[in-house]
Amino acid sequence: MERVERLVRTWVASGRPEEVQETVSVISAGNTSLLELVKALGEYLTAEEGELRSKGVEFLSQVTAQCPTNRMNRQSVKVLVHFMCSKLEDTETIVPALKGLMSLVTQPAFTSSDAVDVVESMFAHVKMRVLGQSQRFTVYTIIDSLVAKHREALKKLGAEFLDGYVGLAEGEKDPRNLLVAFAIARVLVIEFDIKQHIEALFNITFCYFPITFRPPPDDPYSITSDDLKKALRECLNATPEFGPLAIPLFLEKLTAGSPTTKRDTLQTLDACLPVYGAFVARENARKLWNTLKLEIFQPTDIETETAALHTVQVLIQTIYSGVGAKATEDEEIQGLARDACEECIRILKEPEKSQAKPAMKVLCAFISTTPSVSRFTLSQAVPHLVKLFLDPDEVQNRAPTVRLLSDLIDAARQFAQEGEQAAFTPYKDEVLGVLTVGLKNSSACVHALDGLRGAATTPGLLADEERGFVVHNVNELFAKDVTEISDDISDKILELLTAVSASTPRHISQTTLPLLFAALPDTAPARTAEAARLAYWTTLAFLKRLCVQSDLFETLVVRLTTKLDLVCDSRAGPTGEGAEAEEAEPAAAYAHSLLRTLADVLTIKAQRGDTDMQKYVERLLPRLFNLHVYSALVSDGDYLVATDPRLVSVSSEIVSLVLQTAPVQKQEQFSKALFAAYMDGQLQGIAEGQHKIPEGRPFSPFASDAVSLQKNLVLLFSAAIVSLHKGVALPVPDESAFVDKLLQWSIFDADNKIQSDAGERAVAAVLNKRVEGFEVFLSQKLESNWLARAKDVNLALPIRRRIVSAWTWMTKALQVRGHPSAQNFTDHLVVLFDDDDIGWDAARAIGQVVSTDKTLSKKNHTVIKFLYTQKFANAMLPRIIEGAKTTSDSRRQNAYLVALTSLIKSIPKTTYLHELPSLMPLLLRGLDLPDAEMRANAINTLLAVADSASATSNSIVAEHASSLVATLLKNSMVQQMPSVPVRMAALRYLAVMPSLVKYDVLHPQKATVLRELAKALDDPKRGVRKEAVEARTSWFKYTG
Amino acid sequence: MSMEIFNPNPTVFATAKAPRAAQFAKPHSLWLEDDTTDSEREQEDESNEVEAIDQDEIFDLIRSISDPEHRSMSLEQLAVVSAPQIIFDPKFSDRVTVEFTPTVPHCGMSTFIGLSIRVRLLRSLPERYKIDIRVKPGSHQSEHALNKQLNDKERVAAALENPALVEVLEQCLSTATRST
Repeated sequence: MERVERLVRTWVASGRPEEVQETVSVISAGNTSLLELVKALGEYLTAEEGELRSKGVEFLSQVTAQCPTNRMNRQSVKVLVHFMCSKLEDTETIVPALKGLMSLVTQPAFTSSDAVDVVESMFAHVKMRVLGQSQRFTVYTIIDSLVAKHREALKKLGAEFLDGYVGLAEGEKDPRNLLVAFAIARVLVIEFDIKQHIEALFNITFCYFPITFRPPPDDPYSITSDDLKKALRECLNATPEFGPLAIPLFLEKLTAGSPTTKRDTLQTLDACLPVYGAFVARENARKLWNTLKLEIFQPTDIETETAALHTVQVLIQTIYSGVGAKATEDEEIQGLARDACEECIRILKEPEKSQAKPAMKVLCAFISTTPSVSRFTLSQAVPHLVKLFLDPDEVQNRAPTVRLLSDLIDAARQFAQEGEQAAFTPYKDEVLGVLTVGLKNSSACVHALDGLRGAATTPGLLADEERGFVVHNVNELFAKDVTEISDDISDKILELLTAVSASTPRHISQTTLPLLFAALPDTAPARTAEAARLAYWTTLAFLKRLCVQSDLFETLVVRLTTKLDLVCDSRAGPTGEGAEAEEAEPAAAYAHSLLRTLADVLTIKAQRGDTDMQKYVERLLPRLFNLHVYSALVSDGDYLVATDPRLVSVSSEIVSLVLQTAPVQKQEQFSKALFAAYMDGQLQGIAEGQHKIPEGRPFSPFASDAVSLQKNLVLLFSAAIVSLHKGVALPVPDESAFVDKLLQWSIFDADNKIQSDAGERAVAAVLNKRVEGFEVFLSQKLESNWLARAKDVNLALPIRRRIVSAWTWMTKALQVRGHPSAQNFTDHLVVLFDDDDIGWDAARAIGQVVSTDKTLSKKNHTVIKFLYTQKFANAMLPRIIEGAKTTSDSRRQNAYLVALTSLIKSIPKTTYLHELPSLMPLLLRGLDLPDAEMRANAINTLLAVADSASATSNSIVAEHASSLVATLLKNSMVQQMPSVPVRMAALRYLAVMPSLVKYDVLHPQKATVLRELAKALDDPKRGVRKEAVEARTSWFKYTG
Repeated sequence: MSMEIFNPNPTVFATAKAPRAAQFAKPHSLWLEDDTTDSEREQEDESNEVEAIDQDEIFDLIRSISDPEHRSMSLEQLAVVSAPQIIFDPKFSDRVTVEFTPTVPHCGMSTFIGLSIRVRLLRSLPERYKIDIRVKPGSHQSEHALNKQLNDKERVAAALENPALVEVLEQCLSTATRST
C-alpha cells in the first residue's frame, strides 16, 4: 500500500511511464489490487484543483489499460466502470475517463449491463463539440466495441440508443473518426430496428456525400479519399429504406456536380440501386434516365460517359431482373426499357447524325442486361436498321447504318454465351444479307466487315456453310482491283479471315488462297505498269498475313518458289535474250518481292516459335542455292535476275531464319555440304534442283580471281555459318586457319562492302561460338598480322578501314560472350583513336561493339553473357568521359566525343543516367561535331534523357538551357545544317524543351525562338516542316 | 462564349485516308521496302530536294482542330474543312484561300472556327504566305460580315487580346498537334 502511494506521488510529479509499469507489475504480482490503487489515489481524485483530479484519473486509466485481464475481476471492472462513468460529468476528468473506459469495454468481465450504463452516461455527459479529434476518436472506438460485443443489450435500448448515437455523431468532420463512424452506422442500419430513425440516420450519413476530402500531401494516417468513399458507400446501400430519400439527392449531385462528383455518384448508384430494389428504381426510372441520358448524349468525358452507361445497365437490371427470369417470350417489356429503347430508335432514324452514336451505345448497353430486355432491344433495333438500309431514300446513309448494325452485333456477341443459342439468331439471315450488300458499297464496306467478323465470331450464331458464305463474299472483294482496297479495309479483311481461319481454316485454304495465288502474275509487270506492281505488292501483303499457319505456309512456299523460278528464268521471259540489266530490273524487283514475302513470314514464324520451320532446310534452302549458284555460273557477265545482290541478300536472310531452327545434327549435315560446295566446288550436296548446273564451270567464290557474281554468294555461305549451334564443328582441318583465310578474303579479296561485311560476320560468329580453339590465334597471330596492318599508313585507306571493321566484329564477338581478351581488343581500338585517318572509324566502333544486331543474336545461338552491355558501358563510359575531358588535342578530343555518342546510342538509358552531370557538357560539345550523324546521335541522346523527366537531368538541362537553345536553332536551319535527320532531331528537342525547363529560365528567349522557328517552317523538306510546326506550337503555349 | 447550342446533332463524315502505295516502297521505286526498320533509311534522304507545301499539307495542319461546339469531334469529321477547299492562287504560289463550311447557316461559332484556322496557320506556315479565310459562298447567313472580320488583321489581333477567348482557342487547337 505504501509502495503504491509512493508510486502515485512520484508519477503525479514526474509523469514518467516507469511508475505506471511498476504499479502494473505490483498489481500483477498480486501485492495490491486496483481497488487499493483507487484508495491510494483518493486525495488526487477528490482534489479541488482540476489538474490534480485529471492526473489522478489519468494514472488510473493508464494502469487499467496495461493491467493483465486476470487481475480485472468482475468486481473491480464494475467499480471502475461506475467510477469512470461518474468522472464523465467532470470536464476536467472526462478525457482520462474516456481513455479508461476504452480499455474497460474490451475486458471479458465487462457485462452488457455495464454497456448500458456506459452508453447512457456517455449520451448524458459527453459533448462532442468541445472534445478534440483524438477524444472523439476514443468515443467512437468505445461505441464501436460496445456495438460489436454487446449488440443485443444496446438493441433493447432501442430509440434511446439510436437517438443518443445520432446526437453524438452529428457534425463529425475528421476523416479518421468518420471511417469508424461509417462502420458503426452500417451496423446500426442493418442490425437495429431503425424504422423510426431512418431520417436521422440518413442525415448523419448522406450529409457526407459526395466525399470531397483530399488527403494532405504527406498524410501520416494515409487515409485516402477512396477509403472514405468505400466506407460511406457501405452505409448508403445498407438498407432499401434509404432509397426514396437518397435518389433525389443523387439526382441533384448528378446535375450539379463536377466530373469527379458525377462519377462518384454514378458508382454509388451502381452500388445502391440493387439494394434499393425494383420498386424504388421503377418509381424513379424516368428521372434517373433523363439525368443519365445527359451524361451519355452530351458527355463531359469518356470515363463519366462509360460510368453513366454502366449505371443505366444497373438500373435496367434492377427493374427487370425479377421479371426477366419469369418473363415468357410473348410477355411485353413495359416501362423504362421500352420508353428508352423507343427514344433511341427515334434518334437512329437519322443514323448519320452525331447523336446516333450515343443512342447506339445505350442500346448496346441494354443488350448486356437481362435476357428479356436484350431480346426486346434487338427486336426493336435490328428490324429498324435493316429497314433503314433497304430504304431507297436512305441510300446515302448506308455506311452509318451498317456501322450501327455492326456495333449492335458486337454488343450481342459479348453477351452471347458458349453453348446457348445466340440472341441474334432470329435476325441472322436478313442481317447477313444487309452486310454482304454493304460489302459492295465502298464507304459501308469497312463497317460491313466489322459486322461480319462480329457475326462469324459469335459463338453458336453461324453454321459452317454460312461462314463459307461470308468468306466467299469477302473473296469477291479481291476479284476487283486489289489496289482499290484501302488500308483499313484490307486490315479488316485480314482480321475477318484470320478470325474465320482460327475455327475453320478450310474456307480460307480452299477459296481465298487460290484466288490470291492466281492474282500473282507469272512474269513481272513492265517498269511503267505501276498499278500492276501495286497489285502484286498488295496480294503478297495479304498472303504474308494469312499464311503463317503451318499448312498454309507450306502451300505458300511451294507456290512462291515455283513463281520465283519462272520469274528468274529470264531467258524465257518477255524481256528476251541479251536483256540488259535495265530491262531485267522489274523482274528482279518482282523476284525480290517474292523472296521478301517468304522472309517476312519466316520472321513472324520465328517470333512465334513455330516448330514446322526446320523441314524447310531440305525443302527450301537447296532450291535457293540452286537458283543463285546456277545463275551465277551461267551468267558470263550478263545480268541475270537471280544474280542481283539484293536478291542474294534476302535469300541469305531466309537461309539464316530456316537453318537456325534446325537441330545440331541437321546443321552438321548441312554445313558439310555447304563447305564441300564453297571450298571444293562439290555442288551436288546443296545446290541440286530445278536448274541443271552446267559442267565445266568451276564454282569457287573464295578464289581471289573469282568473278564478283560468285563472290556475292558468300552472303549465303555466311548466313548459314552464323546460324550454327556452338556444338557444330566446322568441317575444316584447322578452324583458326579457316578464320584467318576468311579474314584475308574479307579484307583483300572482297569486291564491295556487302561481301566484306558478310565475311566479317561469319568470322565473328565462329569466333564467338568456337573460341576455345582460338587461343593461339587470338594471342599471337591477330595482332602481328592484322593490327599492325591497320596502323600501316602505306596501305590503302579502304583496306585499313576494313581491318578496323573486322577488328570491331571480333571485339564484339568476344565482348558478347564476356571473353577475357575482349578488354584487350577494345584497348587496341582506343589506341587507334590517335590515328589521323582511321581514328574516327575506331571511335565509332566503340558503340558498334555493343549495338544490337541480327547476326550475333540469341536466335542464332550466339554465346551471350548476361548484362554484357552494362558491363561494357560501366567500364568504357568513365574512361571515355575522362578521355574527352583531359585530352587537349582537338582532333583526339573529337574522337572521344564520337566514341561517346556512338556508345550512348547503343546502351540502355539506365547505364548512363547516373553519369549525366558529366555527360551533359560533352553532349553539348557533341552538337558542334562536324559529322552530321554524330550530331544527330548527340541530340537523340538528349531526347532520350528528356523523356525520363527525372529532376536531375532536367536541372542540368535548365543550367545549359540558353546555350542549348541557340545551338539547336542553328542546327535546325537548312542554311546552316544540310542534314535532314539533324534538323529533325534538333526541332524535336526544341519541342520538348518547354516541358523540361521552367518558363522563367527560358522566357527571355521565347520571342527569338518563335522568330527563328518561323524560318524553319519554310524548310524544303516536309518532314522537317512538320517538326518545326510542333516545336513552334509548343513554344507558343510556353507561358509562366 | 454564349451557352446557346447552334447545332446539337450535326452530321458526322468519314475522314480521309493516306494514299496506299507509300507503305510498300519509296516513290518511283520498283523495290519492295524492307520490313525491318533500318537505321540507314533515314540517312538516304539526305538530298535537300524541295518538297513544296501543298494542299494536303495545309489540310493536315487544320483537319484535327476541334469543333468549339462538339469538342470530341474534329473540323474534318464535321466536314467544316476539306482538302479541296484549300486553293492556291495560280499566279502567286504563296497566296492561299482556305474555305470552310459551317454546319448550319446560323452557326454563331463560325467566327471562332475561322479564327482558330487563322491562328493555326499563322503559327504553322512560313511568313511569306498570305492566307485568305472565307466561308463557303451561300453557307452562312452573314457571310460577308464574317469574311470581312476574319481577314481584318486588326480585328484578329484584337480578338487574340481576349484571354477567355484565347483559352478556348488553345483548347481547340491542342488536338491539332501530333498524336492525332
